[in-house]
Amino acid sequence: MAATATYPPPPPYYKLYKNYIENPKSAPEPPPPIQGTYVCFGGNYTTDDVQPSLEEQGVRQLYPKGPNVDFKKELRSLNRELQLHFLELADILVERPSQYARRVEEISLIFKNLHHLLNSLRPHQARATLIHILELQIQRRKQAVEDIKRRREEAQRLLKEALGTLDGH
Amino acid sequence: MTSSSELVRASSFLGAIHEFLKMDIISQLQDQVNTIAALAFNTFGTLQRDAPPGRLSSNYPEPPANPTEETVNIAEQPKLMSSALVKAAKQFDALVNALPLAEGREEAQLKRIAELQAENDAIGQELQRQLEAAEKELKQVQELFSEAADNCLNMKKPD
Repeated sequence: MAATATYPPPPPYYKLYKNYIENPKSAPEPPPPIQGTYVCFGGNYTTDDVQPSLEEQGVRQLYPKGPNVDFKKELRSLNRELQLHFLELADILVERPSQYARRVEEISLIFKNLHHLLNSLRPHQARATLIHILELQIQRRKQAVEDIKRRREEAQRLLKEALGTLDGH
Repeated sequence: MTSSSELVRASSFLGAIHEFLKMDIISQLQDQVNTIAALAFNTFGTLQRDAPPGRLSSNYPEPPANPTEETVNIAEQPKLMSSALVKAAKQFDALVNALPLAEGREEAQLKRIAELQAENDAIGQELQRQLEAAEKELKQVQELFSEAADNCLNMKKPD
């Protein structure tokens, strides 16, 4: 593929559509949606968007694994751990300054865990947003149904009135 | 310019001041984590840079302590910076408490989504029915009206 040139030419498929106006079937169908992994501009992408677990990134996971993580509790305890580590770093800088590296590494580990936890809240947020949108839509539709019903009844009433007025003459 | 037109200009200016929209809570939490990190490395970096030299061993003499204006500031800095750090950590805790994580486990959420979809479809069909009936009635009324208008015209004899 010429995609790796600096200014690649447009793909040559356009020639196949020369007679599209006369005969739509003479040209190829659009390609089906891609599944799995694909290469785009030299980079690998996947269609399955899931957050990689910490182990896959080579980071130790500090909060307990398992299906139901109590996010609030874990976030709070990670925060406390973080503060304690700051104190430890300050202490070790006073006592034995050359030992700072281990402490700094542990602090960055806690930060990575914090961010990973927060990121794993995003699917939950997405589902909650979807629920909210559906509820709003249902409410709007119910309102529209009520409005239409009301208008129809009003129209019927007016027609009956008009009929009555006409018969009265 | 009269005072009334000035009032109009003032009120439209005030109306144009937009309120700052807050981010969603998770983004705020992520932002707060980054703030804590920034405060931490600023704290340690500044203190380490500005700390007066310390005594390495009892063989060497005490380092000269110069009581200048800087030493006064250096005494204050740890307090200020550490209180900022603790404040940021408390803010993080407050944000965590504000998380609206009701018992919405994944299965419960998916079940609710399925329920809402079913309800949405049902009410969508109802809406469609009402719409079609209303359009039909509209057409009928329009035909009747045009018939009545024609009759009116036909009955009016030109003088």
